[in-house]
Amino acid sequence: MDELEKLRELYGEPRPDPVLKARVRQALDAEAGRPRLRFTKGITGVLAATATVVTVVAVAVVVTGATTAEPEQVVSPGVTTTVSGRSILLAAAVTAEAGPENDGAYWHVSKLNRRTYPETFGAEGDRYRVAESQLTEQWVTEDGEVWVGTRSLGTRPASETDKKAWRRDGSPTEWRVPGGTLSTEPGRGHLETVPDGTAFSMAGRKMTLEQIRGLPTDPVSLREQVAELVRDAPGGSLDGVVADALSGLLWSKPSPPKVRAAAYRALADLPEVRYLGEAEDEQGRAGAAFSFTLQTAGSSRLPATVRRTLVIDPVTSQVLSSTVTGRPGTGDDQVEVVLDAGWTTEKPAVPALP
Amino acid sequence: MTSISWAVRPGSPEAVPHSLDEAEGFSAIFDAHFAEIHRYVAQRLGDDVAEDIVAETFLTAFRKRSRYDPSRAGVRAWLYGIATNLVGRQRRGEVRTLRALGRHGLDPDAPGHEERVAARVSAESLRPSLAAAVAELHQRDRDVLLLVALADLSHEEVAAALGIPYGTVGSRLSRARRKLRAILGETNPMLDPEETRRG
Repeated sequence: MDELEKLRELYGEPRPDPVLKARVRQALDAEAGRPRLRFTKGITGVLAATATVVTVVAVAVVVTGATTAEPEQVVSPGVTTTVSGRSILLAAAVTAEAGPENDGAYWHVSKLNRRTYPETFGAEGDRYRVAESQLTEQWVTEDGEVWVGTRSLGTRPASETDKKAWRRDGSPTEWRVPGGTLSTEPGRGHLETVPDGTAFSMAGRKMTLEQIRGLPTDPVSLREQVAELVRDAPGGSLDGVVADALSGLLWSKPSPPKVRAAAYRALADLPEVRYLGEAEDEQGRAGAAFSFTLQTAGSSRLPATVRRTLVIDPVTSQVLSSTVTGRPGTGDDQVEVVLDAGWTTEKPAVPALP
Repeated sequence: MTSISWAVRPGSPEAVPHSLDEAEGFSAIFDAHFAEIHRYVAQRLGDDVAEDIVAETFLTAFRKRSRYDPSRAGVRAWLYGIATNLVGRQRRGEVRTLRALGRHGLDPDAPGHEERVAARVSAESLRPSLAAAVAELHQRDRDVLLLVALADLSHEEVAAALGIPYGTVGSRLSRARRKLRAILGETNPMLDPEETRRG
């Protein structure tokens, strides 16, 4: 690999910020001053585009989700969260409300990521993709100290079909990709402190522990405040972004039980949040799947519209997995399986192999 | 909102340069190039600063649109030139960003984080020295290097964007690449312990 490739790999991709474009547009409108010079396209265009995507996605989901969704839940994109989906979220809210308050020194999230690489391997006409699993753990103290632990669990053919092509390719155990070599073997683990200690963010904006704790416990106020935090889009809120920010409060942030409960209730009332039916996460744990689409700033390599699918355990109110799906068919999905999210007394350590 | 009429996108991209002085034309330019200009600036300066710099880039372009000369540079190269000039005023910010990229450089809670972590599987050990080498380059060499590597501009476009002769692009680029190769050559990724253990 040449040095320009290495350089691109070093820089990586900036994180998508779904509302950034609208925010900059608004700033430009304000600066340009005169009404004739408005850059603003109007929110209706964006929402119409989103609606189109939802229609397409609802069809795709039936294939990939393998759920037991009732027919009326998927055939009519106009109909949003169904009664049963809504009741699942409301039930989860009740459980969440009874959850434990902070009872440890460290907020700890442990998750398994699976990433399918866009590169294909094997013989011409018989190509396959590979997916790497990685364990990522995060610890945050009350004082805002942050540690991140990572460990590769190894790379495998991405699907059963890919596996067959991989066997025909002679079952190699290593693959070259931009940035390095992938191996079927697990890697060594790493534990690093994150120097400037930014642990939490919402739609690309930093959040402190105090801000998270100060969020409203009433669903309507919470929704409004989150919309305020994430939105600069003129004319209305981008509900997909609000849904995304609310779903982050369910597991990736140390939200107090009442805030988590409010987040569940707010999600139950969002028209974008679609109930897909019963589903299993990657670990085979049973739950209920919900999804919504959201716009991102986009770039040459990141799609402008992505879909987030959450599988939650209605009994414990825990989020089991969170999947981001890009353009259908590219195979470039990002799966996060939440192994643990809560307060602990155990000190940060290099992630152990499961 | 009064702006619903904007839902109709004016003209094809080719027509854009001729309508620069109309707000519709400029709105189309913003739509067409926002994502890539933002990506480039965010890569060089980090997400926090990028927002302001990108806004300033388009605002500068909007204000200078009457001085834009389509025979000299494409709109894309012209915007990259403005952005690069603004990035150049943030030298300390760029060095800080590079240090963070070399070290870790990630908001652990941010979406996309895992993607970046996964992509640097075995290149881990090279990151700090590569980032340091980029930070040590002359600003003018770094601008050329990154316009080629990150923005994927051709030599002609880089020359137009920065207002320098074509030949100068080549000499700056090869000087920068030579310095990076020297760093990368010192640490062969194949000798990384994690790699040999697998062998």
